[in-house]
Amino acid sequence: MNIEVNNLNKKFDEFALKDITIKLPKGKIVGLIGENGAGKTTLIKCILNVMHKDSGKVTLFGENYKDSLKEDIGVVFDDSFMNETFTIMDLNLIMKHTFKKWDSRLFFKYIKTFKLPKNKEIKKLSTGMKKKIEIATCIARHPKVLILDEPTSGLDPVMRSEVLDMFEDFVSNKENSILLSTHITSDLEHIADDVIFISNGELIFDKPLKEIKESYIILELEKDEFKNFNKKEIIRYKENRLDYQILINKKNMKKSYDKYIKNITTLDDIMLLYIRGKQA
Amino acid sequence: MKGLIIKDFLYLKNTWKNLIVIFIGSLLISIALGNYLLVICALPLILLTSTINTFQTDEFFNTDSYTLSFPLSRKQIITARFLYTFIMIIVAFFVGLVIYYLIHFIIRPNHNGLNTDMLKYLIMMEGTSLLVDSIFYPIIYKVGCEKSRLVLLSIVMLLLGLGSILSVYINVFNKDFIDFVAIVNFIQKNGVMVLGILVTVATIISYILSNIFYNKRDF
Repeated sequence: MNIEVNNLNKKFDEFALKDITIKLPKGKIVGLIGENGAGKTTLIKCILNVMHKDSGKVTLFGENYKDSLKEDIGVVFDDSFMNETFTIMDLNLIMKHTFKKWDSRLFFKYIKTFKLPKNKEIKKLSTGMKKKIEIATCIARHPKVLILDEPTSGLDPVMRSEVLDMFEDFVSNKENSILLSTHITSDLEHIADDVIFISNGELIFDKPLKEIKESYIILELEKDEFKNFNKKEIIRYKENRLDYQILINKKNMKKSYDKYIKNITTLDDIMLLYIRGKQA
Repeated sequence: MKGLIIKDFLYLKNTWKNLIVIFIGSLLISIALGNYLLVICALPLILLTSTINTFQTDEFFNTDSYTLSFPLSRKQIITARFLYTFIMIIVAFFVGLVIYYLIHFIIRPNHNGLNTDMLKYLIMMEGTSLLVDSIFYPIIYKVGCEKSRLVLLSIVMLLLGLGSILSVYINVFNKDFIDFVAIVNFIQKNGVMVLGILVTVATIISYILSNIFYNKRDF
């Protein structure tokens, strides 16, 4: 196991992460999903000790948390990077004096691949280009784990696909792993092995993606049909203007329900029903 | 840690144009006045204030979260900032010294225009700057740059208020229990030494407090 978090708690005035237990196994890409303010970034910051946890345990590479173990972790934050008056050359200079395994050649290889200007101030680059620099900066450390908070936001579909391929390459040695927090759940449907779903500071599930896809299905029912539907089978439901959307376990699926299937159930749909839906 | 010190130095590269303008301006004023103290101290002073600017820039770009994801302890991050400050003190002194000798050999002013006392003032300015940093740093580590201004303003106003009350008390009641003349004489005679001791003690306390405050902060 590359990262293990056990019973992590962190309380703020109006929000709390409650008893979070998650695992990041070797060789896996684990997606972290949840609404804005669900606690994804807080969880990531608690793992990295950027924020102090109130209680719980974080284990990195089988050892109790130590700052030095972060040598093997590459990080992309959604809202934090270096001074944007720096250039790529400056970043290389800083990083090679910070990380033991910093690989300037690999860094500049990515910079070339991403077609980024070496001597231009970061602030003069587009959002997507900045993201590419952050990704190149974290991979050039030769980490074993990548913790990525919204790494593909601002990237065009072509570049997003290239970056996702890079991530798949990264874990292909079966030793490395990635914790990928994103709102673009379609990315996770392509590459994630497991998905952790957090809502309002609570862990909803931590399951293999395959199991999620096999477990849940969304049905769309007319109002009358909803009234007569067995409520015990409904995990969550959401009332729309004209119909009801209900989330059920696939094992409860009956032949007669086939007519209610309107679309393929996506992670987004499941997340939406968990967050905005009600319990029957 | 070395990486973080380099990071702080790299902030300066965007200010070199300002430094040249300040140098030329202060040189012209010094030539006009016939006294070169200003040009010797101006550039070092700007370099010394740049240490505080690094905090501001870090806060502006929210760099703290990112640097805390590095394989460094919070203590190492604090130490890097203090080391940067010390290095900057030395750099500022040498910049002042170089300007002093350049003026000495190129312009060749008389004793009133340039004298070795000016180097003493340079050292005292450096000490004072370090003293100010020692007060600033723990407050910034505790509350951040934005709020630290308010905290420092409150401290200064409080001290001024207390000083005013004390001076009124001394005047009204004619209590000359403090021999100010003796104090001023002592400072004039032993100024550098007194400042040295004060700065050393303040820096040590500042480093300890900075560690305590930064260790508790979330980003």
